[in-house]
Amino acid sequence: MLLTRDADTTLADWQQRARALEHEVSKAVIGQDRVIRLVTIAVFARGHVLLEGDVGVGKTTLLRAVARAIGGLFERIEGTIDLMPTDLIYHAHLGEDGKPRVEPGPLIRHGGDLSIFFFNEINRARPQVHSLLLRLMAEGSVTAFGREYRFPHLQVFADRNRVEREETFELPAAARDRFFMEIEVPAPVNPEIRRQLAFDPRFHDIDALISRVRGEIVDHSALATVARAIQVGVRASEVLQTYITSLWAAVRTPQEFGIEIDGVDMERLVLGGASPRGVSFLVRAARVRAWLEGRDMVVPEDLREVFFEVMAHRIFLDPVYELRRDRIVRELCKAAIDAVAVP
Amino acid sequence: MYASLVLARVAAVMLAVIFTMMVQASAQVRSVHVQAPRPFGYFIGDVIRLQVDIAVDAPFTIVSGSLPKPRSVNYWLDLRSVAVDDRGTRANERSYRIALEYQTFYAPLEPRALTIPGFTVTMSDGSARIAAEVPAWAFLMSPLREIRPQQGRPDALLRADVAPPPASAAQAVVVAIGCGAAAPALFGALAHYYAWWPFSRSRRRPFARARVATRRALAGEVHAEGYLAGLVALHRAFDAAAGRTVMAEDAKAFVASAPTFGRLEPEIERFFQASRRAFFGADPEGAMASFPPNALSTAAARLAAAERAAT
Repeated sequence: MLLTRDADTTLADWQQRARALEHEVSKAVIGQDRVIRLVTIAVFARGHVLLEGDVGVGKTTLLRAVARAIGGLFERIEGTIDLMPTDLIYHAHLGEDGKPRVEPGPLIRHGGDLSIFFFNEINRARPQVHSLLLRLMAEGSVTAFGREYRFPHLQVFADRNRVEREETFELPAAARDRFFMEIEVPAPVNPEIRRQLAFDPRFHDIDALISRVRGEIVDHSALATVARAIQVGVRASEVLQTYITSLWAAVRTPQEFGIEIDGVDMERLVLGGASPRGVSFLVRAARVRAWLEGRDMVVPEDLREVFFEVMAHRIFLDPVYELRRDRIVRELCKAAIDAVAVP
Repeated sequence: MYASLVLARVAAVMLAVIFTMMVQASAQVRSVHVQAPRPFGYFIGDVIRLQVDIAVDAPFTIVSGSLPKPRSVNYWLDLRSVAVDDRGTRANERSYRIALEYQTFYAPLEPRALTIPGFTVTMSDGSARIAAEVPAWAFLMSPLREIRPQQGRPDALLRADVAPPPASAAQAVVVAIGCGAAAPALFGALAHYYAWWPFSRSRRRPFARARVATRRALAGEVHAEGYLAGLVALHRAFDAAAGRTVMAEDAKAFVASAPTFGRLEPEIERFFQASRRAFFGADPEGAMASFPPNALSTAAARLAAAERAAT
């Protein structure tokens, strides 16, 4: 009994901290409340996040602010076309004595204590780097200097801009599937916020802006425990489980749910995807959202809130439709949620 | 001497005034003509129409209060109606035509002269008043039959009334058939309006359907199962009305998009909260306690009524 109550009070206490985290980040990044909420969900679900959006909408600022608020050790690397996997692991240079030296690279420099690994412009890196990342994200480990480095607290944040297509490498499906969420960062539409972003000197100096975010609000080493407690503590009823399976089916075989999208042959639209891992991620995200909302049960609204970000990048379309992917997948997700009855 | 002179002057002025007034009075009513039909050959019950044309000097108009009122003039004569036609002003002369309708009930034993009495109509120009005298009119009335009918002449006596002609029933039959056909049609329209059977599955009335389904689910002793079925029925109605799945957080948006349900927003909120508790909190009993089955059926009925009011 004592244990349960303790868990409850701890969870309530952590809920306060999660709110504080959101609040701190929203000081640095305005007009992106939904993105901040989704990133917070990912933090408390221990999932890796890929942000995408236009250039200069604040993706990097957002991730830096989150990293600062979470605390713990944090490494950052820029994706470039000549970046090789070894550049992440090893740091080769000439020593003062003129002899070549190989030392641990940015990834393993801090040992296993790394809390956030931040990959800028991930689509500029080569597939070799992607595959290293794949292992890092899936297993939380890399091999270097003949031994295995483990990263129990690691969370990968990556961003990519979707405007440029030259000299970029599309992420393989397997790597994308490892990402817990793919969050689109829209440019703010609210005129007041646009005005502030343009004229308020606060937003001109990013470093000063980030330094205003209160650091170490949550203890990064405890996050894994809290995440587990949330997954155990938030209930998903049988009706909800049925709902999720229906939703899953609606995405895979939309034609059976009477879903229609303009100019799309529904029979051949979806090739595959919406993997079991994706669905389990969906449930994880929904549980965290329910917890953030102060509930001990998952409701369909939780699933709806995270559905697109968790599922969209796991749906594979017929190549004919790939070019129009953004619009089609968005409509498909929305139509699936609208079509599946609940309860 | 002086006093008698003044008196004489005053008297002269007064005389002048009286004279002027008299001259004016004589000049103001220009003519009164009575046009009448034949002055003989009237029987009991006959209607006599007189027409009086009056012409006066321009500023004067008729004082409507001075006209005779429809009434019993005396024991044998009724004045049935009076109508005044203002024919306007021409050459500084205003003319009126008064139509009078009398009915005589005099039963003479032999031909006899009778008189419809005259009357006075007053004219006014706002300050002065003058009178137009409408003269009396005499006419001759005759008896209908002999004073003492001879024996053996039954036709001279009062005759029996004419037998009533048989009225045609054809029109009534047509009307009855028409009503008989219209009644079921109207009843059908009413059934459609209230979404009774066989219109209970009407697509345009999801809440009417839900009301029926909820009532069926909640009939008799209500267990959790029936209660949940009732909730689901109402959920489907919300989905159908919105054209998509409506969740608890959408309640406000739903009400905003369908203002006919605006009054019911608190009930809609309670319904969604109870449903959430029953289905996702796995606590149907608690939901039943917070939103009892009769509240559910009432909400369904009120939603159906609101929907009916809107369509």
